[in-house]
Amino acid sequence: MIDFPAFGSAVGMLAGSPEAWIWVVPGLLIGLLFGALPGISVSMAMALVLPATLYMDFLPAIIFLTSVYTGAGFGGSIPAVLINIPGTSSAVATTFDGYPMARKGQHNEALGAALFASCIGVLVSYIVLFVLVQPLAEIVLRIGPYEMAAIGIWGMVLLGSIGGSTVAKGLFAAAIGVLCGTVGMNTAGYMRGDMGIPWLLDGVPTIPAMVGLLAASQLFALVNAKFIVEAEEHRTISLRRILDGGLMVLRHPLSQLRGTFVGIFIGAVPGIGSSIANLISYGEARRASKDPASFGKGNVEGVIAAESANSSSEGGSMATMLALGIPGGGATAILLAAFAMHNVVGGPRFMEQNRDIVYAIILSNFAQAFVLLVVGTGFVFIASTVVRLPLRYLIPSVLVMSTMGAFAIEGSIAGPITLFVFAVLGWLMSRYGFPVAAIVVGLLLGRLIETELLRAWQLAGGDPLYILEHPVAVGILVLMVVSLVLSVRRDVRRRRAQRAEA
Amino acid sequence: MTQDSIAMPRRRALLLATAGAVLAAPSIGRAQGFPERPITLLVPFATGGYNDRLARSMAPFLQKHLGQPVTVMNRPGGGTVLGNTFYMQQPDDGYMVMVHSAGPYIPLSILTRNARYKADDFHMINLPSRDLTMAACASSKDIRSIDDVVARLKADPRSLSLGVQPASADLINMALFLQAHGIDRSKVRVVTYDGGGPARTATAGGHVDVGFVGGEGFLPIKDRIRPLMLFSDEAWSEYPGVTLLSDHAKANNFAPQSVDGSQRGFVVLKRFVEAQPERYRILLQGIERATKDPECVSTLGNQQLSTTWYGPEASNRAYLSSAALMERYADLLKRT
Repeated sequence: MIDFPAFGSAVGMLAGSPEAWIWVVPGLLIGLLFGALPGISVSMAMALVLPATLYMDFLPAIIFLTSVYTGAGFGGSIPAVLINIPGTSSAVATTFDGYPMARKGQHNEALGAALFASCIGVLVSYIVLFVLVQPLAEIVLRIGPYEMAAIGIWGMVLLGSIGGSTVAKGLFAAAIGVLCGTVGMNTAGYMRGDMGIPWLLDGVPTIPAMVGLLAASQLFALVNAKFIVEAEEHRTISLRRILDGGLMVLRHPLSQLRGTFVGIFIGAVPGIGSSIANLISYGEARRASKDPASFGKGNVEGVIAAESANSSSEGGSMATMLALGIPGGGATAILLAAFAMHNVVGGPRFMEQNRDIVYAIILSNFAQAFVLLVVGTGFVFIASTVVRLPLRYLIPSVLVMSTMGAFAIEGSIAGPITLFVFAVLGWLMSRYGFPVAAIVVGLLLGRLIETELLRAWQLAGGDPLYILEHPVAVGILVLMVVSLVLSVRRDVRRRRAQRAEA
Repeated sequence: MTQDSIAMPRRRALLLATAGAVLAAPSIGRAQGFPERPITLLVPFATGGYNDRLARSMAPFLQKHLGQPVTVMNRPGGGTVLGNTFYMQQPDDGYMVMVHSAGPYIPLSILTRNARYKADDFHMINLPSRDLTMAACASSKDIRSIDDVVARLKADPRSLSLGVQPASADLINMALFLQAHGIDRSKVRVVTYDGGGPARTATAGGHVDVGFVGGEGFLPIKDRIRPLMLFSDEAWSEYPGVTLLSDHAKANNFAPQSVDGSQRGFVVLKRFVEAQPERYRILLQGIERATKDPECVSTLGNQQLSTTWYGPEASNRAYLSSAALMERYADLLKRT
């Protein structure tokens, strides 16, 4: 499947052109910075630098943009770990364990693990892309409403009651999230719950809502604390401990690989992308773990699972973009726009006629994964000085930044208003012991499940047995039930053993 | 009372005179000076779509012919309601021009989303791009032709699933087509997608049997689909030999009825045209010159962006007639 002459010419193209390299580090830095700012998404960062690429040659332009893509993919996890606010929507699951780790004083390890998991995720996903562009794109294109609905339900089952003191409270919170997620016009064109407010036509703005929920629930919990990390001796910033965190990734290869493959396939599905993949991967890691109770309390495996999935979705969505010309999300849509700006039409024909350029892009991304390791370590090192900042300065800054980010992403006051409303909701929920994370999961997955189930129903014309024509979906659901039964049995046994010991 | 009644007109007259003087003097200077600051192209869609690409590619040429920097602003959401409403709130100074799929989005947003503006609040400067609804299936499907589709649906309305966007021109075309063949739409398995992109992906991926969606977006993935019919009476050079609705209708003895899938281009407010005729003329001239600029024609042509100049008269006529058609078929949109 590898076209060796084209590969050779791709190597030559990269080796002979310093211009293809000078943009990698600036691109990664821009990506890291914008990714780390709450409210600025990966695609916004890329849209901001898009005009600059007009003055570059085609290959350097695309390499620059993919560097921003790669950098922003990881950048989002930095505030997720340090202040519980995901910098991008794909870093939600990183907050679940990353922030508890930071509060325990393990911010170095958490960021190191996130960084290594991201780099390995990017690398593996591009290797898969390199070998299997065409088949990967074909598989992703075949994932239809039934398969997506099954994946969404799986995620919901795994994470529905996440973080709750009781299952009932978790489910209640998730239901609120799902309800909020269904506001706006559904895929069949019906308006629900918009209360005549035009800003709600497309539903509750997800990112401001999410930031509001997560930030508020945590910031209020910090009211009496002076620093994010309570113990002064843990407030260190240590390169060694960041690298230690990286080593943790190598000690959990299974979480890493599972996350990577979830990311490649689910993250690549057009329109849904990486914001779902990290949740599914996290949920799976938690289910498969010997000690699921430790998740949400600072288990490094949770960080690894989330970060490996959100970064590997880059390779997956590049596959559909390169092989089919279908942008999987905002970021690849901007890459296609950059193609167009250089008078290149992306899609199958481009792949066939310019294999060498495609290979050069992929090879450059291999390199980007390694460069990110170095640049990211430096960036993380500087960013973690946040833990030394007294909260009385940090909290107001975070609030101002989040509000500005919410304004930027919506382009109107609707963003800050959403942030405020959901901050109040988040505070109320956490005040009474309802898990905020479950609302976020409901918000993100609820809309997906509703849309896909509705389409599945339309496809079936109301015939429930029609699902039998979609063996993959049935397979996913069967797997889900089997794995649930197994983990329930394991839990029951463990509890019995504990009781026997006692 | 009397004093007042005398004082009022006097004061008013004075006010009018000063206002007139203030307005008249600089307006001459301003008209010559217009535009004296950057011009914004407002796109009511997210980055990466046709309108966004059109705006960004035209910007350098507009800059050249208007003599001021031209920037692009995206304000997506609510099926263009948010962008349109925002535009209605801007001052009538000519510094913001929309690049819009005016037809069908403006009339559709009025009919299906209760937007508060009217179709004729907007004035078309030029709508170079006209997209058509195309019926297509994945190339792996065993559907050979549009007649095949009709035959199968007539035999069993549930035999094929059809993918379409709700509240779209495509839906109107699909509904009229099924109606003409006497196929009961409520029995057909219609699957709805919120956007042309998802509908095309579903068609190319074979999730639905036949997709009814704008043909232009299919161009990059032309090899993966089989075009079945174009909802038009004119052949399209990109899709040679594809059945046209007009021919299909003649062969099947019904009157062909369809609306344009998309009419995209430069849009301003009617209010602005009436209030600032001089500035409007300058904008019109700039856009016309940029559109006809040979360099622009070739650059945009390479990106499969259209640069046909129809002018305001033809563009408004096309836009208003399609808006009227949509209003006529509004009830078709309301049940999906």
